[in-house]
Amino acid sequence: MNAPEPAAAARAWPEEGYTRVPYWVLSDPDIYAREQEAIFRGKAWHYLGMEAEVPEPGNFKSTFVGEMPVILTRAGDGSLHAMLNRCAHRGNLVCRDAFGKAKELYCVYHAWIYDLKGDLTAAAFRKGLRGVGGLPEDFKLTEHGLRTLRVASFHGLVFGTFSQEVEPFEEWVGAVGEGMRRVLKGPLKVLGYDTQRIHANWKSYHENPRDAYHANILHTFYGTFGLSRQSQESRMVLDDAGRHVYFYTKAGTEKDSEDYQETASTLRSHNDQFTLEDRSLLKRVDEYGDGVSIQILTLYPGFVLHQISNSLATRQLIPRGPHQADLVWTYFGFADDSEEMTRMRLAQANLAGSAGIVSVEDAAVCEMIDRAIGDGAQGESFIEMGGKTLTSGGDSKLSERALRNFWNIYRQDMGL
Amino acid sequence: MMPAHEQYHRAVENLIYEWARAIDEDRVEDIAALLLDDGEYKVASRFNVDRGLPLAVIHATSPAQLRDRIKSMRVANIYEPHHYRHIVSGVQIIGKAQGCLEVRSNYAVIRTMDHDGSAMLFSSGQCRDLVSVEGGEPRFKRRHIVYDSRAIETLLVIPL
Repeated sequence: MNAPEPAAAARAWPEEGYTRVPYWVLSDPDIYAREQEAIFRGKAWHYLGMEAEVPEPGNFKSTFVGEMPVILTRAGDGSLHAMLNRCAHRGNLVCRDAFGKAKELYCVYHAWIYDLKGDLTAAAFRKGLRGVGGLPEDFKLTEHGLRTLRVASFHGLVFGTFSQEVEPFEEWVGAVGEGMRRVLKGPLKVLGYDTQRIHANWKSYHENPRDAYHANILHTFYGTFGLSRQSQESRMVLDDAGRHVYFYTKAGTEKDSEDYQETASTLRSHNDQFTLEDRSLLKRVDEYGDGVSIQILTLYPGFVLHQISNSLATRQLIPRGPHQADLVWTYFGFADDSEEMTRMRLAQANLAGSAGIVSVEDAAVCEMIDRAIGDGAQGESFIEMGGKTLTSGGDSKLSERALRNFWNIYRQDMGL
Repeated sequence: MMPAHEQYHRAVENLIYEWARAIDEDRVEDIAALLLDDGEYKVASRFNVDRGLPLAVIHATSPAQLRDRIKSMRVANIYEPHHYRHIVSGVQIIGKAQGCLEVRSNYAVIRTMDHDGSAMLFSSGQCRDLVSVEGGEPRFKRRHIVYDSRAIETLLVIPL
């Protein structure tokens, strides 16, 4: 009987490097477990929420960083904090609500109580009763706080990390921070949430908004109604490290060419059968004054900020095992939006999200990939659109440059 | 004592069943005709509604907008083929508002995938409707579907 292949040999990355992605990275439970340590508890910043979600002292929001439950709080002095939602005593959740307001975090199991900065302030019967029981003499409240995260607020968005080593957030996002500043032009107002449960590996979804190549091909609505076309003035921007990316397109700037016509006529995304009775969904206001109709911005490893016409949202990708991820969309506007502007943003929320007229395709493709790779033991994807290097493809959207860069960073973080 | 609007109960119930059956029988286009010309169809999570957040995942403010969405489903969107089965219960007329009957009902939708036959409870929730009974056939002035879970499994392309 043949011995099974040693795991190390079975898990060798293809020699071509980051232009190939072996399918076992999308299905192997051991890889998934290692990602939690190397990426989600590693040297990366993770989206936690918006300042507008915890506007007042005492407000909290519970969320996740990878598989880890995390609480974002605003303490009595107005400062932002984030901590693991896990009692330092016996590991119970200290917060059960999605959002709320509290004076303290109270573990119901044994009444260990933490302030909103995560410091332990009390533990029930700590001194015992009548000289009997209680915690040891050397027990110090200060040594048993909740595990805290570093927190950074950036133009109303809040990010956190378990890492003490990763550079400050603004340095970490580099040139892509410009795309964030552009969208986040004032105090934010939350319009609502949409959680999409995708039955696929989190990285399949993470690749999707980095992939400008697919946007005008898969999404019929974009091409047919001209919100986004390959022939428009557009650009892709990466930070120096290649971790993050944003791309934009300007509707109404089409430059026609023979080769464009030739390809466009074969795409299912330009569909003459598809007309709208009510075209009000296509109306938009150039609120940034730069003609950009769509900007999609992706931060490693699980954050998206989108502007689709006047629909604005963050997307937080929460891994839930090798074959499931929750994508939490938070739609927002600005505190000073007029009622009419809010109505417009809400109407355009029809375009994206779980029920998005433009984009329901994305989740479908991720799930079809999950089934197509089977057990993931064999095969690899081919990522050479725009060339074979980290810079080839330049700032063209017809390129998979941002995917090559993602897998390059991923391999470094994972030691693969 | 029977409430004054009890005489409409069968007709209202029938309208709600008609909507569900049109979707389940893949005659989705037919539901647009069950909305008044100034009717509204909205699908929002209980999570948002309970917090006073206005976001809906589907919001059509006219039958035309609903037809556009259904057309997109037919010719533009990509998804794996599937069907719904609506289970409707607890239809109650609870009052009057805006010249219409205010109606509540519960629904559960089971989604069955064509390719491998897997079936699951896809969505459950409450319909908060305003039904106009003036001028013969009842029609929805408002069909507001509030789904219970904050999460949607994969995607929502066939209307609920």
